Amino acid sequence: MRFLRRWKTQILLFFSVVGPGFITANVDNDAGGIWTYSFAGAQFGHALLWTMIPITVALIVVQEMCARMGAVTGKGLSDLIREEYGLRITFLMMLGILICNFGNVVAEFAGIAGSMELFGVSKYTSVPICAVIVWLIVVKGQYKTVEKVFLAASFFYITYIVAGVLAKPAWLDALTATVTLPRLAVFKQHSYLYMVIGLVGTTIAPWMQFYLQSSVVEKGVTRRQYKASQLDVVVGCIFTDVVAWFIIVACAATLYVHGHRDIRDATDAAQALRPLAGDYAYILFSLGLFNASLFAASILPLSTAYTVCEGLGFESGVGMKFSEAPAFYWLYTVLIVAGGAVILVPGLPLVKISVLSQVVNGGVLPFVLIFMLLLINNKELMEEHVNTRSFNFIAWATTVVMIVLTALLVWNSLRGGSS
Amino acid sequence: MLVSDSATSSWLALLFWIPRRQLSMLMIMSTLSLSELLGLTVYDSTGAASGRVREAALVPQEDRSRVSSLIINTRSGSRTLPCSAVSGIDGGVRASTTAAEWNPASGAEGQFLLSRDLLDQQVIDVHGRKVVRVNDVDFYQETAQNRLVLKIEGVDVGARGAIRRLLKGVIPLALLRMLVQRIPPREIPWEFVDLIETDPARRVKLKISHERLAKLHPADIADIVEELAPNEREAVFETLDEEVAAEALEELEPKFQKAVVESLETDRAADIVEEMEPDAAADLLGDLSEDRTEEILVQMQPEERREVADLLEFGENTAAGRMTTEYIALPVSASAHDAIEAMRNFEGRMESMSTIFLTDSNGTLAGTVPLVKIAMAKPETPLLALHQEPLIYSRTNAKEKEYAELFDKYNLLTLPVVDDHNRLVGVITPDDVINMLRAKL
Repeated sequence: MRFLRRWKTQILLFFSVVGPGFITANVDNDAGGIWTYSFAGAQFGHALLWTMIPITVALIVVQEMCARMGAVTGKGLSDLIREEYGLRITFLMMLGILICNFGNVVAEFAGIAGSMELFGVSKYTSVPICAVIVWLIVVKGQYKTVEKVFLAASFFYITYIVAGVLAKPAWLDALTATVTLPRLAVFKQHSYLYMVIGLVGTTIAPWMQFYLQSSVVEKGVTRRQYKASQLDVVVGCIFTDVVAWFIIVACAATLYVHGHRDIRDATDAAQALRPLAGDYAYILFSLGLFNASLFAASILPLSTAYTVCEGLGFESGVGMKFSEAPAFYWLYTVLIVAGGAVILVPGLPLVKISVLSQVVNGGVLPFVLIFMLLLINNKELMEEHVNTRSFNFIAWATTVVMIVLTALLVWNSLRGGSS
Repeated sequence: MLVSDSATSSWLALLFWIPRRQLSMLMIMSTLSLSELLGLTVYDSTGAASGRVREAALVPQEDRSRVSSLIINTRSGSRTLPCSAVSGIDGGVRASTTAAEWNPASGAEGQFLLSRDLLDQQVIDVHGRKVVRVNDVDFYQETAQNRLVLKIEGVDVGARGAIRRLLKGVIPLALLRMLVQRIPPREIPWEFVDLIETDPARRVKLKISHERLAKLHPADIADIVEELAPNEREAVFETLDEEVAAEALEELEPKFQKAVVESLETDRAADIVEEMEPDAAADLLGDLSEDRTEEILVQMQPEERREVADLLEFGENTAAGRMTTEYIALPVSASAHDAIEAMRNFEGRMESMSTIFLTDSNGTLAGTVPLVKIAMAKPETPLLALHQEPLIYSRTNAKEKEYAELFDKYNLLTLPVVDDHNRLVGVITPDDVINMLRAKL
C-alpha cells in the first residue's frame, strides 16, 4: 500500500512538471523527424552523429529564448514580430511559415499513410479517416484530453533506445563519431549537405518556436516562475536528441551495416527495430510512427492557424464558433484537407517528401532566428532579460551556419549537384 | 483627387467594370489613411520637396482625435511640422512655411505617435467588446482658412487596411485605391477605441484611462482582460475604478485572478479585494501564498478583513467555503413591510436577496421567505406566515456534492448555511453552485 501511494505521488509530481517544453520536445520527434533520423543513419551510418551535440546546444538556446520571451512579454512570437516590425514583414513571415508548415503537415500524413500500410490499410482509407479524426478532436474541443494519451504513448521512443542497444552497435565508433568534427570536404557531397540541413531543420523546426512560446504564454508562466520553465525546456531538448541519437545509431547498426541504405517506405525503416522485436518489428515501428504522426498532425495545423491569425490580427481560438473566427477555422481545415490530399496522389515517394519538408524547415529557420534575436535583445521589451553574450553567440552562429549551408545546397543544386 | 488623368481612370473602369459616375465620386473623396500619409513627400512654401512624412502625432491633453503635427524626415534630420502650417494634402503634403522654419523633432513627451503607438498594436474595441489589432488608421480631413484639420475617424481592423498596407508601393496608388474600395471596411470609430498603455507615467501624460471600458458589464471586461498580456492586464486593473475592478476580478478565471492580484501593488490589491464579495475574496486569497494573503489582509478595512478571514478558515470545498456572508436576516416577529425596508438598505448582491431569512434571538435559523411571496403579500403580513416548508439548510462542513444535490432536489434559489448550534452563518447562491459545477465539466 505504502509503495503504491509513493508511486502515485511520483507520477503526479512528474505530470505537474511536464510542461510546454516537454510536449514540444515530444512533438519534435514527429513523422518528419523519425524519417529524417532513420534516413541519416541508414545512408551515412555514424557519419552524421557529430551534428547531435551542436544541434542540442542550439536547440536548448533557441527554445530557452522562446520560453523566456513568452514569460517576460506574455505574448506570442508572431504577435511580437507584428508589433515591432509591422504588417508587411509579418505577412511575408507568415507566408513562409504557412508554406513550410504545410510541408510538415504533409509529412505527418505521410507518416500516417506509411504506418498504416504496414498493417495492410490502404492510404486511401487511413488518411481521410485520420484527417477527419484530427479535425474533430480540435473542433469539438477535446484536444486537451487527447493530448495526455499522445504524450503517454510517445514513451514508445524508448523502444529505439532498447533496439539501439540490442543491435550491438560499434559503441566506441559511435561515441567517437559523436565528438569528432567532419572534414570540410564532405560538405561538397550534395546528399550529405542535404541531410545535415534536414537534421537541423527537423530538430529545430521553425514552427516549434511559435508553438512553444504560445504554450508558455497560455500556461500563464510569469517572470517569477520562469526558472521551472527553463528546466522543462532543457530536459525536453535533451530527451529529444537522445532519442534522435539512438534512432540514428539503431538504423546505422541494422540498415547501414547490411547495406540497406535507401529507405523507400516504412517496411524498410521498420527493419531498424528488428533486434528488439524480430519479425514483429514492424508492429512496434508502425504503432510508434502512427502515434507520432497523429500527435503532430493535430498540433501542427492548429498551431499554424493560431500563429498566422494572431500575427495578421484575425480572430482565433478553439473556444470560438466557426462563424466568429472564420479565417482561423478555414486555415485549419484547408491545411488538413490539402495536406491529406497531397498524400493521396498515387505513386508519391512518401519518405523523400517527408525529408524534403524537413530540409525546407532548415532553410526557413535562420529567418525566424534573426527575428527572435532582434526581439530578445530589445531592451524596451525584455528589460533585464535580454540575451547574454554567449546565448547571442550561439544563436547567431546557428543562424549564419544555416544560411551558409542552405546557400551551399542551392548553389550545388544549381550546378547540377554531384551526389 | 489622386486618380488624375483620364487615361488611368478609363482603364481602371474597364478593369473593374465600375460605372464612370461612381468612379468620379471616389476621386473627390476626402478621407485619408495613415498608411497613405506615411511616406508622402512634403513640399514647403517655396514648392521644394523637403522631406517625407514619418509620423503623425497627437497631443491627447489638448485633443484626443486631432493630429497636432507631422514629423518629417528631411535631409537635415527629423523636423516637426504643425498641422496648422499645412495647407492641404494632394499627392503630397503642402506646407505653408519654409523648411527652415520647421523645428527639430524633440522627444515624444506627451505625444501619442500614431505609427509607433497605434499601428499594429492591440486596442480594445469597447463597442464590439473584444481586443483587436490595428491595421490602419482612417482620418477625415477638412481645410479651413487654408489650414488642414486632420482628425482620426477610426481604426481599421479588417482586410481593407491590411491589403492597403501590404500592397502600398507594390502596385500603383490609384489601382490600390480602387482595389480597397471594393473591400467592405471593418472600422472601429475612434470614440469606441480604448488604448492600452503599460507605463503608468505615460498613461497620465497621454490621458489614457478606461472610462469606456469601465461602463461594460464586468463579465465582458473580464473576457477582454483575459485576452491581454500579463502586464497589460495589470495596467487595466491599476486604472479601473476599485468597484468595477473588483466586479471584473470576480468574473476572471481563477488562474488570471491569481496572476493579477500577485502583480498588483499590495495596497491596490487590498482596495480591490475589499470591494469583492466576501466569498469570492476568500476563494481568491485562499489560492495565494500565505505571505501574500497576510499582506493583503493587513491592508484591508477591519470589517471586511474579519469577514474574509472567517471564511478563509473553512475548506474551499465545503459549504462554508462557498457561502457569502452578506444576506438579509430578520427577527421572527418581522412583517413583510420590514422585509421591504431591509431590502432597500441592503448593500450586498441581488442574488442573495431572493430569500429573506428569519432568525430567533440566538441567531438560530427559524425560517426562509422567498422574495416573491413578500412582493405579493400585504405589508402588515407577518413573515412567519409566509415561511416556506420544509426548512432546508446545510451545515458548514457539507461537501460540494451534498449542497449541490439540495439545490437540485428542492429547486432552491438560496441555501442557508448553519453552524453546529444551528445559527445562520451564510448563504449559498446558485451562481456559486454553477461556478463549482462548471469547474468540474
